[in-house]
Amino acid sequence: MTAILQIVFDALSLGSIYALGALGIALIFGVMRLVNFAHGDYISFCVFAMLVPSTDAMSEMFLGSLPTIVLIPVILLIGAGVSVLSEIIVFRRLRDANPATMMIASFALGFILKHFLLMLFSSRPKSINLWPDLGLPVEILGARLPLLQLIAIGITIIILVALSAFLKRTRFGLEMRAAAENFTMARMLGVKANQVILIAFAISGMLAASIGLILAAQTGTSDIQMGVSVMLVAFIATVIGGLGSLAGAVVAGYLIGAASVLMQVILPLEARPFRDAFVYAAVIACLIWRPQGLFAPKSAKQRV
Amino acid sequence: MSFLSVTNVTVRYGRLTALRHANFKMAAGETLFVTGPNGAGKSTLLKAIAGVVTPVEGQIQLAGQVISGTVPEDIARRGFSMVPEGRHVFGTLTIEENLRLGAGMRADKDAVAADLAGCYEVFPMLRERRDAPAAVLSGGQQQMLVIARALMTGPQLIAIDEPSLGLAPKIIDQVYDVLLRLRDERGLTLLIVEQSSTRALLTGGRMLLMRSGEIVMEGDARELLRGDALKQAYFG
Amino acid sequence: MNAHRSVLARTVSTPAVLILVLLAIALIAKLSGSSPFERTVTELFIRIVLVVGLYIFIGNSGVMSFGHVGFMCLGAYGTAWLTIPPAMKKFALTGLPDFILQHQAPIALSLVLSPLLAAVFALLIGRILMRLAGIAASIATFAMLAVINTVYSNWETVTGATSSVVGIPMKTGVWLSFGGALFAVIVAYGYGISRYGLALRSARDEAIAAAASGVDIERQRLIAFVISAFVIGIAGVLYAHFLGVVNPDAFYLSLTFISLAMLVVGGMNSLSGAVIGVVAISAVIEILRTLEKGIPIGEATLAIPNGVQEIAIGIAMIVILIFRPSGLMRNRELRWSRWPFERASENK
Repeated sequence: MTAILQIVFDALSLGSIYALGALGIALIFGVMRLVNFAHGDYISFCVFAMLVPSTDAMSEMFLGSLPTIVLIPVILLIGAGVSVLSEIIVFRRLRDANPATMMIASFALGFILKHFLLMLFSSRPKSINLWPDLGLPVEILGARLPLLQLIAIGITIIILVALSAFLKRTRFGLEMRAAAENFTMARMLGVKANQVILIAFAISGMLAASIGLILAAQTGTSDIQMGVSVMLVAFIATVIGGLGSLAGAVVAGYLIGAASVLMQVILPLEARPFRDAFVYAAVIACLIWRPQGLFAPKSAKQRV
Repeated sequence: MSFLSVTNVTVRYGRLTALRHANFKMAAGETLFVTGPNGAGKSTLLKAIAGVVTPVEGQIQLAGQVISGTVPEDIARRGFSMVPEGRHVFGTLTIEENLRLGAGMRADKDAVAADLAGCYEVFPMLRERRDAPAAVLSGGQQQMLVIARALMTGPQLIAIDEPSLGLAPKIIDQVYDVLLRLRDERGLTLLIVEQSSTRALLTGGRMLLMRSGEIVMEGDARELLRGDALKQAYFG
Repeated sequence: MNAHRSVLARTVSTPAVLILVLLAIALIAKLSGSSPFERTVTELFIRIVLVVGLYIFIGNSGVMSFGHVGFMCLGAYGTAWLTIPPAMKKFALTGLPDFILQHQAPIALSLVLSPLLAAVFALLIGRILMRLAGIAASIATFAMLAVINTVYSNWETVTGATSSVVGIPMKTGVWLSFGGALFAVIVAYGYGISRYGLALRSARDEAIAAAASGVDIERQRLIAFVISAFVIGIAGVLYAHFLGVVNPDAFYLSLTFISLAMLVVGGMNSLSGAVIGVVAISAVIEILRTLEKGIPIGEATLAIPNGVQEIAIGIAMIVILIFRPSGLMRNRELRWSRWPFERASENK
């Protein structure tokens, strides 16, 4: 029983990170059909923003030394800022380009961000000491779970609820949903394209920042690769969820999290290192079975 | 002074010229039909006015201001509401959300509420199902919804592409009843693209005849329809 | 006015010009006698093999692939398995079949077998992947790369996991890599003017019309996928014998990025674009590398910070995408007559 509980919580906390990542990607895809490869580097960027730039092995907290109540909004703002800037500087100019061109441009942007961080911090993973008290385990129904895991799950749920309220109840949310479904028609009804896209980028950046905070606290390290590995899975979740479907992206994020944790448990010992390969293979299988994704909205269908 | 004036407008898609040197004017409160065979450039003309496609040449003015070269949302905010062909309802949004979206850019919140009530009065079916996603509506109902939504933007000029395409005759009558009533009550300017031109016989107004990207004839709708001119435009 | 001349006669000047350019580069490298310069040129040729391989699939099909570097990984490890001396293999790669462990193949044989491994893998996985279109296809190729990377990073006894596999004979020099580039250009050109290449490009430009005229898009894509996998497999073999070591992470996102950057900068719909893109970006990389090492000015050394190179390449790529989306070559081919201003008829 406790073992099962442990698995459930592992799946939920891993799935939370994937779900937040997938949501950030799906949001942008929804409004401008851009598959944003730079998203993972936004995550890394937010993590490294907490450290003093240096190539030494020792790390020193920069923004990370701010009190929590200030730190969280600051990091969220940084995430939103880098995301919004990339729209203004790069993606806005490519709005009429085909999806493949935009995808490559975002790939290039991610590459630039990554090497910018490498230049400032070197490729060595560094320790990051964020909220050490949260690593302590708590006991729930006999299972010992890190408090942080519970908080991560809880925060994700809060973010999801808040975001869905934003989308359902506010003017911008309505416009964003309409724009995701049919951008041109929305514009013909007076929806301001640039505004909606900027808001989508800002939210997407904040989602990346929250992942950065959770990952930094959970792993205690800052690694240039950490954002990218989340992004790869998040991407896949977005595709499996049906490109353009926000709910689908979230569900698929949790599904992949669950699949990863389950495979870790079920796979024979010698096959475990290959877990990710199985997950990715499952993804390909899933795409073949339903190329439009599991929960594809009609509007996301690709024209031949 | 004319409310809408289209001067020498040319639109190209790649190497294909979809609209060639189009010229016409509309007075406020006027009804203008645009007709012609498939591929004549009727929809392109509307899209050019709406700012969805950018003319390579020429100028479009709305209420005295140049709108060609600006973006669709700005044109919509100047009182031009477009109902494109193919019933673009937002299927995942509820019916009421669709309507509210149309009213989003208006500052007169009280009038919006009144308009919404008015819409529901004209289309009672929309009120009944206002919390249902628009995707569940039938084709005719969706057409009603997009027209109601366009009206919610509080337009001075409404352009409709093929309002009767694929609708039952009874529904077409209903749609036109509403449009004409609004024209008479509010002085709405109507720009209607219809491939089947018989409707213009009943409603009256001016008519443009297009063929192969050009406006080939302009005149009183009834007169044009009575003569052989139309036939010639189609087959000649 | 040349309408009646055969396709071959009309277009053969493109590979001829490209090969002459490459030959000139090879000769300059050889004549310079500078060993670092020779290595630079060798690397350039290997990249040309890779990017031309990418072009065969991406350029002709219009489907963006993020997974092709995986075939390079297959080729590189394939040749590591075949050509490392048995004494070393037995020690490091214990999981290999006995027959392979006890023998050492010459590079010539490996240059056929290892790319063949990549091609066979492409044939198997391509049968599945090629059913997808658009973004789903691109993401699936990404997933393929991730699968390859995960397997090669963890298969301790066969790939040595994340530690580098050493002991690969360092045989790739200017001429061998030039041979690879020559082969890649000829294959890409030959495929391009074959009916398969033509059918695939027609499907790229007018999918519905092509399907209506009987083009089996899936099959045509698969053919291009397998051919490109073979060519990129060669790039892997050459690279392994160039460095003498292989490591799974050498064939992951960074290389994917650089190779796509080269293709995009050159112009992804033309063979000349693929080659020119490699030459242009490689030149920029070299210049920036030199600057990073520092240029002595009197007593002081002027150097730009490490990492500027990659950032500059990224910026160059974005600038090209924004201002010249059809690449340096504008999707045209280099030609003998009036080149490069003449527009290639098959690459509108």
